[in-house]
Amino acid sequence: MCPGGKLWSALYRFAAAATVLTLLSLHTVVYAQNVSVFAAVSLNEALDEALVLFERPANIRVVPSYAASSALARQIQSGAPADVFISADTEWMDYLAERKLIDVATRSNLMTNRMVLIAPAASSVQTEIRPGFGLSQMLGDGRLSVADPDSVPAGKYAKAALMTLGVWNSVERRLVRGENVRAALNFVARGEAPLGIVYRTDAYAEKKVRIVATFAPDTHPPIVYPAAMVVGSRVPAARQLLDFLRSQRARAIFEKHGFIAVR
Amino acid sequence: MVFLTPTEWEILALSVKVSLLSVVITLPVAVGIAALLARVDFFGKSVVDALVHLPLVLPPVVIGYFLLLLLGRQGPIGALLDQYLGIVVAFRWTGAAIACGIMGFPLMVRAIRLSIESIDAGLEAAARTLGASRLRVFFTIMLPLALPGVITGVLLSFARGLGEFGATITFVSNIPGETRTLPLAIYSQTQIPNGDAEAMRLSIIAIVLSVLALLTSEMLVRRAQRRSQGRDA
Repeated sequence: MCPGGKLWSALYRFAAAATVLTLLSLHTVVYAQNVSVFAAVSLNEALDEALVLFERPANIRVVPSYAASSALARQIQSGAPADVFISADTEWMDYLAERKLIDVATRSNLMTNRMVLIAPAASSVQTEIRPGFGLSQMLGDGRLSVADPDSVPAGKYAKAALMTLGVWNSVERRLVRGENVRAALNFVARGEAPLGIVYRTDAYAEKKVRIVATFAPDTHPPIVYPAAMVVGSRVPAARQLLDFLRSQRARAIFEKHGFIAVR
Repeated sequence: MVFLTPTEWEILALSVKVSLLSVVITLPVAVGIAALLARVDFFGKSVVDALVHLPLVLPPVVIGYFLLLLLGRQGPIGALLDQYLGIVVAFRWTGAAIACGIMGFPLMVRAIRLSIESIDAGLEAAARTLGASRLRVFFTIMLPLALPGVITGVLLSFARGLGEFGATITFVSNIPGETRTLPLAIYSQTQIPNGDAEAMRLSIIAIVLSVLALLTSEMLVRRAQRRSQGRDA
């Protein structure tokens, strides 16, 4: 008998077990194609729900990856294997377009959103958002939870709105900067921050927060969600997915979650 | 080092401050636990041992999440601290130090424990028979002989604190000047357009700092060993 007999038999057994497990996992649903979507995290629930409608009929499995648009754009720039990118602002889409990393012919705006001031559900704060409103007084010794205003779209919109209203300077040093808008949302939902600024759709998705007031759309740059195919994604399914996202059925789902679909 | 911008200095100083505090608060506890694990047999020892090592194997974000749930303003411990002592650690640099301290704790205990275990227990027994109290034995025999391990533990834990990311960002967020330590600052730079150059500068600072910590540890351990050998002779 060869000296390595035991090792080999163990390896064979391992390989057999691995094969069986792999086959079992494949047993569920086998899709003809895979598409990878990098999407702004604020789209999480809405896109998940829309994708369910898309996958079976199209026989395409969609693998969504949610994060801050900034994080996703940088990952795509570094060669991440994304087929479709949906950003929460035009700047990060432009950033990839300038570097010829997205197919600009496939680019279009899917929807818009609104910015809101939120508080924990149990909080009773009330205010009206107008120039110079008492945001810093309302914070007390707490902090204002926003997405990182240097990079993340939701944070940039929040900063723009507060600058327009002339209260940015009073709260700039008192921010909690989430790495994406959902991190900012959660700090308020857990009561760690007394106030936060997120998308209206985030506030709808989280029962533990309450909308205190909505920012007027003219206080910040228009919120748009552009979508496009990533250069090098030779998957025809990506085009099919983009078409679906612009369809009436997908729009209905987005609107159900509080987005305003672009016609 | 004069080439650093004021912001870089601020980040560097904050990182060192956070790591230093984390070491200061965990050292006494780590020495106690290490001595306990090295010299005393008690019921549930393996459980304590496992608990001590938990931060080494758990995802850091889990530690950060539990810290937020426990020590946040709404957490059971955090609310009590705030109410009775007026201490708030959530979103403060002190909270970052707590996160770093916990992540570095196993490293510190391991190094100190190994060092204590390598001491000839006969020396302690001899001192006891000569009438020294347990406390005196601990401070005059165990601690000085375990010094190389203490130094290694302190520096390993300090270096771990400098690199701590997951628990910190989850627990105290990423606030410039308050909780944005080196790794968080590097991460932030990788998130903004054209932040690569700054991310690289900060990364080099991190490398230099880590190498310095390791070299210092080497040097101090060697000096401590030479001293204790000199005493034996």
